[in-house]
Amino acid sequence: MTPILPLLLLTIPGAEGYIYPNEYELHWSIHIVLYPYLTGLVAGAFILASLEKVFNVKVLQPIYRLALITSLAFLIAAPLPLMAHLGHPERSPEMFLTPHTSSAMAMFGFVYAWYLMVVLLLEIWFDYRKDIVIWSRDKKGLIKYVYKVLTLGVTDISERAIAFDQKACKFITVLGIPSAFLLHGYVGFIFGSVKANPWWSSVLMPIVFLFSAIVSGIALVLLVYVITSLVRWRRISMPCLNKLAELLLYAMIIDLSLEMLDFIHRLYESEESIEILSKMISSRLFISLIVTQLLIGSALPVLTLIFARFGRLPDEMRRMFYFIAAILVQVGIFATRWNVVIGGQLFSKSLRGLTTYKLEFFGIEGLLAAVILLLLPVLFLWILAKLLPPWVPEDQPHDTGHRTREVDLPPGSLPSSGTV
Amino acid sequence: MFRHKFPAQLVPLAVLFVLAMTALLVARAFLVPETFGDYGPYRANSVDEIAAQPIVYAGAKACEDCHDDIVALKSDSHHQGVACEACHGPAAGHVDAPDEVSPQIPRGRGYCPLCHGYNPSRPSGFPQILSDRHNPGRPCIACHDPHAPTLPRTPEECDACHREIANDKMVSPHTMLACTQCHSVPNEHLLSPRSARALKPTDPGTCAPCHSESGTAKFEAPTINFESHGERYLCWDCHYPHHPEAN
Repeated sequence: MTPILPLLLLTIPGAEGYIYPNEYELHWSIHIVLYPYLTGLVAGAFILASLEKVFNVKVLQPIYRLALITSLAFLIAAPLPLMAHLGHPERSPEMFLTPHTSSAMAMFGFVYAWYLMVVLLLEIWFDYRKDIVIWSRDKKGLIKYVYKVLTLGVTDISERAIAFDQKACKFITVLGIPSAFLLHGYVGFIFGSVKANPWWSSVLMPIVFLFSAIVSGIALVLLVYVITSLVRWRRISMPCLNKLAELLLYAMIIDLSLEMLDFIHRLYESEESIEILSKMISSRLFISLIVTQLLIGSALPVLTLIFARFGRLPDEMRRMFYFIAAILVQVGIFATRWNVVIGGQLFSKSLRGLTTYKLEFFGIEGLLAAVILLLLPVLFLWILAKLLPPWVPEDQPHDTGHRTREVDLPPGSLPSSGTV
Repeated sequence: MFRHKFPAQLVPLAVLFVLAMTALLVARAFLVPETFGDYGPYRANSVDEIAAQPIVYAGAKACEDCHDDIVALKSDSHHQGVACEACHGPAAGHVDAPDEVSPQIPRGRGYCPLCHGYNPSRPSGFPQILSDRHNPGRPCIACHDPHAPTLPRTPEECDACHREIANDKMVSPHTMLACTQCHSVPNEHLLSPRSARALKPTDPGTCAPCHSESGTAKFEAPTINFESHGERYLCWDCHYPHHPEAN
């Protein structure tokens, strides 16, 4: 008789039930998980920045510029996973040269270019223009010339010119909000419009993507703000952090409600796919969906945020809980993207079988490459923060007394965070 | 008057915009192929170029003209429907100059598993192996003649060919049942599986010995009243016998 153990080993990691030949191996790998994750962070961080500018939430002033350059750093990195996945990055400009309007994926180039060139770069340029002009005069060495180039030859920083900058900035932000919605809503649209895939095909998909983007963006800026403040040995503005935590909590509640709505809608519709999908959720996606996305990534941070924001806690504890909640949110949103992208490929379109995703470590589609692609935006952010320091001058240095206060911006360029 | 009112910072932006648009148009003029878009989002000329490519496949008929011994051998074998060039590669050059150009002969272990490696989506009954465990290190042609690939040794277990069913059955309550409990398998099926088929049960009483209320099963099998339970249907219309608890 055939030994049973090798055969059992054969059954466990592979496919189960019936699957079509082209479904045995997944075609969209971890890089395609990274892509909506990164664009979500971009859109979320920008929408957060726009709150300060358009809706005049002054308490968020300390993170306005930080949110903007965070958004830019992650936007630069956003198409890299796609290029790594597709190969031949040199062919990507062809999207612009020969536009293909019937393909949502091909239109991504234009959505991306619009968002990068018209929204983010312009807003950052108008917002930093006065400082860039001052730095181009005051700084020494090579960097002086970098700033000179960045002025684009306009050195007028009269009151009238600055007033125009601010108006332009506000106008672009107003334009930027629907653009940010478009950027990430469109990523949801790509998945939501795949009619043949019942896990993806849902009109709610762009909306759910959008709110999860806002959640992840706020959590990212919170993390970046706390970490950069600690590294720079600066006091964190608690009103700002409290506001961030509140916004994060509210966005999470809306996001969770939408996800629940989607879930209930699917259950109520009970299309023929419901059996294989529930089997997938209870087996293949149990850890990543039920445990990671819902419990660790949603329920736990919501409770943590409620406890930290509305409980009677010292500021240090509050900061720590906010920080932990924001990390959990990142884990949860990454799991959300994973469950959408990988989950949509784990079941057979015959609705009769499930397959497994095997993530390799090395190789262009491996875990190592994904980690590098995730770290790249952090590197971009570091470079951008050196070039265009987003820090606001503080009224109080950290209370150790070991370091002196540094002022990166010229006096008067931004009001103090302590006034909020 | 206009210059005075027009904000200075918009001038370089406008210049940059015009430059970028000009660069795009110039790049389009140089980089987009001339016939692109004539029929659709591709270069129309490519159709003519592809049509002008030399023909590299000779077709099975050309092989048959010279290699009638192999054709005779193959035409009675399981590989009768596999074209020669599926394994030997494009052979038009060989037909034109038989002594100068030799077609490829896949002697390694990598080629046969392209069709015969285990893949759950392959039909049951199609011989499939786990390349890592099936005589590792030995080339396929050491035991199998690709032109007449009758198995060198008759399989002892059904799972040699019916792997997917065996996998299902293994994790089901029917795991201990022999396949022959329900299927009658003529001996010739092992040697010539297509001409001598294994028979599927047709009698609704097949399941009765274990699952009727008066059954004699040694194990604790669920029992039903065969007269009142789904009388108009066969058991396997609703229950998948290889994994009866699955949906």
